[in-house]
Amino acid sequence: MTEIDEYGERLKVFGWLAVLVIVVLIARACYLQIYDGETYARLAEGNRIRLIPAMAPRGNFFDRNGELLVVNRPGFTVSLLPLNNPVSDEVVERLSVLLKMPKEDIQQKIDAHVGFDPIRIKTDVMADVYSVIEEQKDKYPGVVIETQPIRDYILNEEGAHTFGYVSEINDVELEKKKDEGYKSGDIIGKFGLEKIYDKELRGADGGEQVEVDVAGKPVRRLGRKEPLPGDDLYLTIDKHIQEAAEKAVDERLRLIHANAAAAVVMNPQTGEVLAMVSRPAFNPNLFARGISVKDWNKLNNNPYHPMDNKTITGEYPPGSTFKIVTGTAALTEGVVSPEEQIFDSGHHWIIPKGNADGEALGWLNFRSAMAHSDNVYFYEMGNRLGIDRLERYARMFGLGAITGIDLPYESDGLVANRKYKEKNFEDGDWYLSETFDAAIGQGFNLVTPLQAAMVMGEIAANGKRFKPHLVNRIVGPDGKIVKEFKPELLSTLDVRPEVIQLVQEGLHEVSTYGTAASIFRGFPVQIAGKTGTAENPHGRDHGWFVAYGPFENPTVVVAVVVEQGGYGAQSAVPIGREILEAAFGIEKPKEDNKAKQAGSN
Amino acid sequence: MDFTLLMASIGIIIMSLVIIGSATHINTPGEERYYFVQRQGIFTILNIAAAAFFMNFDYKMLQGYGKKLYIFNLVMLLAVMLVGQSALGAQRWISIGPISIQPSEFSKLIMIVCLASVLEERVGKLNTLDDLLPVAAYMGVPFLLVLKQPDLGTSLVFMAIFFGMVFVSGIRLKLLFGIFGAGIAAMPILWHFLKDYQKMRIMVFMDPNVDPLGSGYHIIQSKIAIGSGMLFGKGLFEGTQSQLNFLPENHTDFIFAVVGEELGFIGCVCLLLLYLVVLWRGVQIAKDAGDVFGRLLAVGITSMFAFHILVNVGMTMGIMPVTGIPLPLMSYGVSSLTTNIMAIAILMNIQLRKQKLLF
Repeated sequence: MTEIDEYGERLKVFGWLAVLVIVVLIARACYLQIYDGETYARLAEGNRIRLIPAMAPRGNFFDRNGELLVVNRPGFTVSLLPLNNPVSDEVVERLSVLLKMPKEDIQQKIDAHVGFDPIRIKTDVMADVYSVIEEQKDKYPGVVIETQPIRDYILNEEGAHTFGYVSEINDVELEKKKDEGYKSGDIIGKFGLEKIYDKELRGADGGEQVEVDVAGKPVRRLGRKEPLPGDDLYLTIDKHIQEAAEKAVDERLRLIHANAAAAVVMNPQTGEVLAMVSRPAFNPNLFARGISVKDWNKLNNNPYHPMDNKTITGEYPPGSTFKIVTGTAALTEGVVSPEEQIFDSGHHWIIPKGNADGEALGWLNFRSAMAHSDNVYFYEMGNRLGIDRLERYARMFGLGAITGIDLPYESDGLVANRKYKEKNFEDGDWYLSETFDAAIGQGFNLVTPLQAAMVMGEIAANGKRFKPHLVNRIVGPDGKIVKEFKPELLSTLDVRPEVIQLVQEGLHEVSTYGTAASIFRGFPVQIAGKTGTAENPHGRDHGWFVAYGPFENPTVVVAVVVEQGGYGAQSAVPIGREILEAAFGIEKPKEDNKAKQAGSN
Repeated sequence: MDFTLLMASIGIIIMSLVIIGSATHINTPGEERYYFVQRQGIFTILNIAAAAFFMNFDYKMLQGYGKKLYIFNLVMLLAVMLVGQSALGAQRWISIGPISIQPSEFSKLIMIVCLASVLEERVGKLNTLDDLLPVAAYMGVPFLLVLKQPDLGTSLVFMAIFFGMVFVSGIRLKLLFGIFGAGIAAMPILWHFLKDYQKMRIMVFMDPNVDPLGSGYHIIQSKIAIGSGMLFGKGLFEGTQSQLNFLPENHTDFIFAVVGEELGFIGCVCLLLLYLVVLWRGVQIAKDAGDVFGRLLAVGITSMFAFHILVNVGMTMGIMPVTGIPLPLMSYGVSSLTTNIMAIAILMNIQLRKQKLLF
């Protein structure tokens, strides 16, 4: 036991250290409770510490040239600070009158709230409400005005489907995203780019601790964490083209008394989307402010579905624009030579189907058949190819599958095929007439306007299919690039270059002497195009137009569909022309465009 | 029997049950308002019964189980990593039927037993780094496992236990201070390995305003609770801070703040003095222990208690960072309660058997 005694000294030191621990703690308690007790008692009794969150401003949207598209503006929110005593009926009543809100709604918000952060009663109130509350603070105990960034879609309805909208997180979203740090009351992106890039756009909320008095009025600020703004998105969208496209669509719809349309403008060599229009549209600012029941019902009951982004969710029969696929397949498979002439007597010799107006165009080769969009010629191509080869080529172009654009809720369309018929129809057999229909883009085939633009873009880019995208780069609040999006080559058509060239020439002739020639007469830039008129069992036909230009080195591809617009040449083609004019800087009246025009010639 | 230690421990436990009741709003109507007190009470009784039964055995037999306990401990900690449930960003829990256990709590006591059996033959022979290294490595494995969970608080407790025990084992002071020096020098490197939330907690400790919405808020609210209790406190069930949920975790990690608010400075001093009795008896039992193993056990247990008290109470009063380690015999929690009652039982067992070697 001698060893133990040797270290008895150590044990003594150890014991005194333990005593020291207790002494230090008692000393600290003495300091807090006796010396500083009054201060803390004041904080705890009448006064309280409150957390007032400071919402981080969401990142801005810029167009490809750095022009602002979506920003934030400061808005006033009326909130209640949770108090020890229940909020008096009187205050609720006064608020109800001031904010023009039912009493029950306010009470419900108070009852549903837990925690110490303010109870948001109404967001984005007008300045007069702000001044009433500020001037009559005694009448509104516990009521505070918070300044919050509110999303401001400065272009209103323009680009609404692309940009999307934000609003308060709902219970289902909260449940799914709790682990990612989302909390109740958060504003999140619900649609469009706001939804897809929500994580990057949202930033990090800050807040401050304030000391409030008995009435809940802030008297002292104790600490503050600055909110960190979200990242900015620099889009591929060109504001100039976007605005021109919106205007062109609206004007044409008014002229021909149609209600719905969609247009996509892209760069076929990169996959960058330059403009996207969907009609009818909605104003995303309604959601940022908290949409009223009346407005919501109006949007919901509109038979033309303004909340759908028709460029990616609208599925239409492609009509004659599908002849691009049929033609490419026929030449590649060698079922026809470019020179072979086929006689159009007004209808096909096996099944008496013909052109829409029953006209007979006589002897046609590949290029003239494409230029005049002759149905009989392409029925025969369908006849020679068979449905399976048609299906294979349609899929090679990317039809029947989503394009992968960075927008939510994209539809995949449909490629006519045997399996689909077997699965969905009692009579599952495939008939030749269905192959005929498929060959000219009718029957089962369905494409979205974006897919139509992609098909045309692949021809323009010599068979290359680039992933469509809307964002060029994401830039942090410090100006550093967080992420950059480069053109992504998805696939290349397994087709000989001569074939693509022949298709390109046929499409070029559409604009020189074919179906779009009258509208493109005198157009200073050489283009290729294809019109389409898609039969619609529910009403007037849908009008289509797809085009690209300049013909030699295409930088712009456009796809336009006008729902129940009748002939493509009268509905979609004029819109396409105006969009191309804007894209090439050849608008008529403006003086400053002349310089650009001279430069491009 | 060490009646002083027994009475002090029972005093703390009674205080604990009362305060847990207050902190969990026993006075407000509701279905489960007695849940926490009932649960803690039942486990207290079960544990005391187990401890009484344990008195029949000689603590020295524990030495024989040293290796087995060590392996058991490692298996338990690994199990947490594989099948554990995470709470608040850390994986610390294993569910067995209706009870979730927190192995890192038991792990502390197990490591005290293991270390005592390893150090027993090394007393007085800890002169060089080479002497110390095997012991350090022995301790290092479970330490790293706990750190990995991550449970920074418990791993710091391991360190406190280790240093308390090697100090009393007669480690050369030069070596001890050398290690401390190296530790301080290595801090910038260790900082690098901390998780973001751990860094935040340390930064918040330096300046609570860094994170006014997170743990900074907790510290400020806890200080307000304690300070506003003043000399006599606001009375049981009357603490506005704790009753209105301003205090987070008020029946577990921040229970001392409820004592401070409702029982005032007098209550704080009473509780701290009860702890002083426990610690002082721990040191006395170490001094009077019948063998080296017993002495080291008592030192390890006392180290553990002292460190827990310092860090937990210090945290609630804003002089220690928030690490999430419970207040012994006070905080709600079955794992912690069991560990602490067993620790007291071991102390009493050592005291009970001291005479046997003094014939």
